[in-house]
Amino acid sequence: MTWTLFELLLQASLMTILVSAVSILAGLAIAIVLSAMRMSGNAALKGFAVVFISFFRGVPLLVQLLLIFNLLPSLGITLPSLATALIGLSLCTAAYQAENLRGGFEGVAPGLIESAEMAGFTRAQSFFWIRTPIALRMTFPALVNEAILILKASSLVSVVGLIELTKMAQNLAASTYQPLPIFASAGLIYLAINVVVAFLGRRAERALPGLPSA
Amino acid sequence: MSFDFAVILARGPQILAGLGVTILIWIAGTLLAAALGFLVATARRFGGRFVDLALSLPVEILRGTPFLVQIFLLYFGGPYIGLRLDPIPAGLIGLSVYGAAYYAEIFRAGYQSVPTGHVEAAACAGFSRGQTIRFILLPEMALLVLPPAMNMAVILLKETALLSLITVPEMTMTVSAIGSQQYAFVESLVVLALVYWALVELANLLGRLAERRLSTFGTP
Amino acid sequence: MTDPAIRIATLSKKFGDTLVLRDISLEVPRGQVTCLIGPSGSGKSTLLRCMAFLEEPTSGSIEIEGEPLGFTGTGSARRRQSPAELRRVRGKIGMVFQQFNLWPHMTALGNVSAALRRVRGLPRAEAEARGMAQLDKVGLKERAGHYPAQLSGGQQQRVAIARALALDPTIMLFDEPTSALDPELTGEVLTVMRALADEGMTMVVVTHEIGFAASVAHTVCFLDHGRLLFHDTPEKVFAAPREPRLEQFLDTYLDRGAQMLR
Repeated sequence: MTWTLFELLLQASLMTILVSAVSILAGLAIAIVLSAMRMSGNAALKGFAVVFISFFRGVPLLVQLLLIFNLLPSLGITLPSLATALIGLSLCTAAYQAENLRGGFEGVAPGLIESAEMAGFTRAQSFFWIRTPIALRMTFPALVNEAILILKASSLVSVVGLIELTKMAQNLAASTYQPLPIFASAGLIYLAINVVVAFLGRRAERALPGLPSA
Repeated sequence: MSFDFAVILARGPQILAGLGVTILIWIAGTLLAAALGFLVATARRFGGRFVDLALSLPVEILRGTPFLVQIFLLYFGGPYIGLRLDPIPAGLIGLSVYGAAYYAEIFRAGYQSVPTGHVEAAACAGFSRGQTIRFILLPEMALLVLPPAMNMAVILLKETALLSLITVPEMTMTVSAIGSQQYAFVESLVVLALVYWALVELANLLGRLAERRLSTFGTP
Repeated sequence: MTDPAIRIATLSKKFGDTLVLRDISLEVPRGQVTCLIGPSGSGKSTLLRCMAFLEEPTSGSIEIEGEPLGFTGTGSARRRQSPAELRRVRGKIGMVFQQFNLWPHMTALGNVSAALRRVRGLPRAEAEARGMAQLDKVGLKERAGHYPAQLSGGQQQRVAIARALALDPTIMLFDEPTSALDPELTGEVLTVMRALADEGMTMVVVTHEIGFAASVAHTVCFLDHGRLLFHDTPEKVFAAPREPRLEQFLDTYLDRGAQMLR
């Protein structure tokens, strides 16, 4: 195990961070849309959201990624492996994040929505400006937790051919016959990233405006 | 492009064999993980500060790294330190150790939820430590511990799919092998996804039933 | 002749099978303060919430400055207003809640300027300047950057009043504005409300503060078991209560009111 090998792992970890960060944010946006659909009066939208969330939480991410990776070309859509990885991870985390947000949306006091109504907000404006920010604030710790889960889950996108930290470790392990130090180093890098994310998450949690005690 | 599911479904017995391996590894792995996690949590609770600190390190490492990296390290790295394992034992050990870290945290939260006064009361009543755990702590924390424990079991079920990457002949490996032999990869993956979906929803349902059952006898 | 600020005609409200408001008719004149008093469960808060259409009347009608609120037509011809129409009529009303209901993710200034920006579409600078003027009016200019969780209950309620005033309502509804406050914090809120009354704002106030009702209200309405038993000037209501239910109610609350008057 040399410094050069470790440097290659570090470089690949940038791809891990990129894929995870983009997926978390895209997943959050999709999760908010799913929440709106689930709370809407329209049975079709509601049904779609419920089935979507159940499916993506019910199927292993590995199977989801393989399915997307093989299904898209057979439908005539060819995407680079980065795009495939982002789609797979975003859809999966969206389902989990929508489930986390559910508690947040349910926890928004009815009076806060009434006061928005009295201030002239439409239902959509109230959802976007009042309910969503409060639900996000309440479920922020779950979001940090989900970010850590997705960082770890991003190791699976190696199966769609994207060279991130785990795929790089696999390649190096195969070519150098040193799987032990290489996989251990990869593990340490994941651990370090997660420690930093957890630390930043706690800092951000303290910096955010407090919630009413009532 | 048209999809042909018949070629996949024709291999029903093979799929069922893969499903059997998945379920066996899942159940055995979950039970081992819960037992090991309980031991770790109990050692941290009663073993003093040094044991608590020493055990927190492996727990945090296991919780902070991907399961895939852990099983690669065990399966491909193990032989270099004389740990030569077949895929199935490697997979079972990997799943149990990984799950144990999460179960240790679940039980730790459970121990913390029981007021110290209850433990002191048990000591005054002449209970031994083992009796206190058996008759006071475990029943009191059961209701709190059950939902995350069932949730973790479902997560472990989904994680078993990764064992295909270290050639454990479980369902993902079996079904995707059929798919590539028959040039019906998409069909095989759709079948796979549906079976997992059904299994996970079934496990969720059993979890909810267990919670309801327990909450009818349990302390509020 | 101009229409009254609020005209309520033969209004009834049921929750399930329980009749909480029975056949209430009332006119709230412009520029006056009307206090709704009565024991808990008398329906006074429900009546106020009907005036904002936060509760749907089961029958009867409400007009705001001559325009129907919530429903148009009566009886079998009754139709629900479109959301846009409801928002337009409601725009004349500012509402202050018992639990303040400040949005926790926005500062005081954010709360006061949010609707100006998001609903009225004002540029940020203008919305904040207007919001700041309202915060100044309730004496909280220095607290503009504080989040609700960093403010006392009395300060939160004053921000809530400023938030309602920022939208230039012609009518202000107060739903037990001091009931959630510690006794030493009610004074600052009542002072702001008094000043508002002195400016000639039309106000409807559900309150247990008998002292406030006695000194500020033009009209006091006494509700009991969903009926409007009595409405008259405070002098008449408080000087010689002959209704036994009113007398009983006042016996319970007058001590608190007397303290407030000192």
